[in-house]
Amino acid sequence: MREILKMVVVLSIICGLAGLSLASLKQFTAPYIVEQELTFVQGPAIASVFDDFDNDPVKDRKTFQLPETGEKVTVFPARRDGRLLGVAFETKGQGYGGDLGIMVGFNFQPEGVQGIGVTTMKETPGIGARVAKHGFTGQFRGHALTDLEFRSQGGDIDAVSGATVSSTAAMHSVKKALHIYTSLKGQFTEAFGTEAP
Amino acid sequence: MIKMWKEFSKGLWKELPPFRLVLGLCPVLAVTKTADGGLGMGLAVVFVLTLSNLLVSLVRKIVPPKVRIACYIVIAASLVVAVELLMQAFAYTLYQKLGIFVSLIVVNCIILGRAEAFASKNPPHLSVADGLGMGLGFTLSLTFLGALREIFGYGTLFGVPVMGTSFKPFSFMIEAPGAFVCLGMLLGAMNYFTNLQRRRKGLAPRGNPAHECGSCGLCQGGK
Repeated sequence: MREILKMVVVLSIICGLAGLSLASLKQFTAPYIVEQELTFVQGPAIASVFDDFDNDPVKDRKTFQLPETGEKVTVFPARRDGRLLGVAFETKGQGYGGDLGIMVGFNFQPEGVQGIGVTTMKETPGIGARVAKHGFTGQFRGHALTDLEFRSQGGDIDAVSGATVSSTAAMHSVKKALHIYTSLKGQFTEAFGTEAP
Repeated sequence: MIKMWKEFSKGLWKELPPFRLVLGLCPVLAVTKTADGGLGMGLAVVFVLTLSNLLVSLVRKIVPPKVRIACYIVIAASLVVAVELLMQAFAYTLYQKLGIFVSLIVVNCIILGRAEAFASKNPPHLSVADGLGMGLGFTLSLTFLGALREIFGYGTLFGVPVMGTSFKPFSFMIEAPGAFVCLGMLLGAMNYFTNLQRRRKGLAPRGNPAHECGSCGLCQGGK
């Protein structure tokens, strides 16, 4: 009996101490981690999507709530001389090796997709990872909001050959982003506080 | 002091973790595409291994033997999560490169192996020396293997081009099979050097490991 009691007590104390120290460490590092993710993951992706903006989209970001699902989306605005050029946000699709994050930028004038950039992925090097290359992402640059489909489905985007899962994941994210864009479109100019485009 | 040095230095050659003890091979093969990946992983292991050895050695007298493994795992896992958080907060690019393998340090046999085989039986200062030595040996091995694969696979070393412009990289070396081939050759080279040393001392070279015949029977017991 004594032995069992001792085992329970010692193990609980060790686990408790471990939990306590990890919780405080997590609290301490959380703001740093968010900042690092924004600078090393989202920041470069936004920069690759928009080419002539002069604000800091990461600093000007705002969170929106989707009307239907209540899901939260962080939207990064791109401005030039104070005028809102477009917005970008990240969506995720199920890739071959886990979540495939895509930053999708939308332009207001003319209205269309500004471009896409990959934020996070764990696709197979040399095969699925090619969705991050210009050959695939470049097809979305300046694309209209319609016909965003693979060629086999009647659209005009070429999938990466040999990487159906990764390509579909990317396309899925783009379509999800398009859906978010259409449902939030009315709120952007008001929220980011510039004249209507 | 001499004893501490002995415990420290054994990890550097005599019991070099990945090549001598052949422990912890999962990260050895996976993160050594580049030299700095190997170095980063190695440093994370040094941190976890040293602290886990210290903590295990401190609690060795109060932990009941029946739950000791559970306690060691809790300690190692907490340290690994701490490393992961700190890496995300202060070295994000390294974290991106090492990915899932940071969290896999917890199931790395070296951590538990040293806790069980050494730290649970020795006082804290020797355990720290052992952890540091084993960790550094692991780091050196990973960096060396990573450098080898990076030089042939990308033509660079720590990101700096070293092979000249006419060099065409072997992409084989940075894929998984390249890791196995490199590791095998390194193990072979290490055995060769050991035997060379033994011969110089006038000892017979170490033979092949003896296998039990029962499981194979290909040669019908030598007949």
